Amino acid sequence: MSFIRRNLAGWLVMLPGLVLLVFFVWLPLLSNVSLSFYQLQGYTKQSFVGLDNYAQVLRDPQFQRAFLNTGLYVFWSIVVGFPVPIALALLLSEVIHLRTFFRTSLYLPNVVPGLAAALLWKFLYDPDPGGMLNGLLGAVGLPPQPWLSSPTWVIPLIVVALTWKAAGATTLIYLATIQSIDATYYEAARMDGTNVWQRVRYITLPSLAPTVRMLLVLQIISVFQVLYEPLVMTGGGPNNASLSLLQLIYRYVFVRGDVASGAALGVIVAVALLVLTACYWWATKRAGHHG
Amino acid sequence: MGKLGAAGKAGAVGKPGAMRGLAAVGRLRAAGRPRAIGRLRAKTEGIIVASDYRLARHRLLYVLLFGGLAMAAVVALFPVVWLALSSFKGPVELYRTPLTLLPDQVDLRKAAQVWQTLAFGRYYLNSLWVVAGAVASAVLVNGLLAYGVSVLRPAGHKLVTALMMGSLMIPPILNMGPLFRQIVALGLIDSYIPLWLVFGANPFYFLIMTTYFDRLPRALFEAARIDGCNGLQMFWKVAVPLSRPILAVVAIFAANAAWSDFLLPFLVLRSDALQTVMVKIYTLQAASATMQGFGPDKLLMVLVLASLPPVALFVLFQRRITSTVATTGLKE
Repeated sequence: MSFIRRNLAGWLVMLPGLVLLVFFVWLPLLSNVSLSFYQLQGYTKQSFVGLDNYAQVLRDPQFQRAFLNTGLYVFWSIVVGFPVPIALALLLSEVIHLRTFFRTSLYLPNVVPGLAAALLWKFLYDPDPGGMLNGLLGAVGLPPQPWLSSPTWVIPLIVVALTWKAAGATTLIYLATIQSIDATYYEAARMDGTNVWQRVRYITLPSLAPTVRMLLVLQIISVFQVLYEPLVMTGGGPNNASLSLLQLIYRYVFVRGDVASGAALGVIVAVALLVLTACYWWATKRAGHHG
Repeated sequence: MGKLGAAGKAGAVGKPGAMRGLAAVGRLRAAGRPRAIGRLRAKTEGIIVASDYRLARHRLLYVLLFGGLAMAAVVALFPVVWLALSSFKGPVELYRTPLTLLPDQVDLRKAAQVWQTLAFGRYYLNSLWVVAGAVASAVLVNGLLAYGVSVLRPAGHKLVTALMMGSLMIPPILNMGPLFRQIVALGLIDSYIPLWLVFGANPFYFLIMTTYFDRLPRALFEAARIDGCNGLQMFWKVAVPLSRPILAVVAIFAANAAWSDFLLPFLVLRSDALQTVMVKIYTLQAASATMQGFGPDKLLMVLVLASLPPVALFVLFQRRITSTVATTGLKE
């Protein structure tokens, strides 16, 4: 009795949150896994088909394209988006003039609503000779570019827009880590006569390593979820060159009414994310053991 | 994922006494002259310190660093400034070559006209209503959950943390089909209820509040219990009053996220009269090619109107927002 009394209050307080957690997260997840093994009529299960839905998704050229695209999104976001916040954080930590102004300006794009930011960049990338970026090119005598209509450049250009929006917040996280570095390390390094680059190389960057690893995983997870940008900037085009995995789930479920394929693809992406997270844990654990 | 909170330990990002305004620019312009580099002489923290700045090449390096940061700030601000200025341009003026940055005229009547033709006030009110419920549910429901896990700690509370962290690793959006069916099954299409409640189970808000509650002194809760408070009363009388700053931060983040939310509102809100600003923008941009008298220049004005509330919120609370992002790793 006293065991129940002791614990009942706690669980009652948490009940509303638990109900919502089950309703919005875990029930859809479990039902997605279950639906993915059935042939469906709408959402009604017709017959158990094992892995047929998965096989069908894997054979779908659109899936192959979206899968490749996600690889490209991740690749470009690491090449373009990943070094930017680290560099900005180093600059912010060293520059002492106009500090608040710089911190505020760099964070501002983060509060522009995602949909509005995507549309804003669609305007900047307007292929018309009168478009913003083409106007800038014209001003220095260069010909107008197709921008998002180029299948080769569409993903890197979307990544630029993503980076523009997200870099400020990531910068602040790196900045906090940089500012928590023990000042005596730098003092000792100066005594040893190191130059500025050596201090960055041997003190600052190694101190950032755990944060870098964590944010790398979080960034990959968030890039797997790219949706608004291809949805409103390109519709996934040209010719599916920017189609993302999440956009394909949306297409399967809400455009084609193919819930089974959407469910199977959702599970595939979830497993991919779990594997990535496991790799991350494994890597950090190993790093921990070896000092 | 438990390491999220460890992203930064430095409490305050801003150093006290940071100089702002034009005086700093003036000083920088004169950075070449030793007399004018007083602030660099006082720099004792970081990679490059006062003693380094005795060398001219380090002072040159500082000018380069400042220049790099200034360029980054221009890149960050320019699209927003371009949007604000271009929204006043006419349809022909917008695509005129050679490019001009400033509009021929800044006429606020254009904003009023776009607002009226689209009856934008209704969508604004809809969005505000969604935000209000989302903020309440984000703060209260996640707050109670975090309080249960952190303070009351009933047997098995670790399960709650595990369920929350799982949703961080597997984004719920992957299961949009079944979630949508559940909402339909409960008759919640064209209702704001799912849009409010979805904010009640958010791993980021949960994490930020458990981290905070974990640091509150246990003795205060013991004292309240001895005074006869039950679990819920202790939440209202002890936890909430002591946690106002962090609850405010969660409220600000939730307000911003709810205002900007698109996919779930788009799926749930079917009738035009109930749509939020973001849903309306999406349908507008899809229709703008065919809609009479609604050209791209008007769409730009709509984007400005839609971005104003979150930008205003940020301007009001920028210090609190930026320092929370830095110390918790919470990004929206």
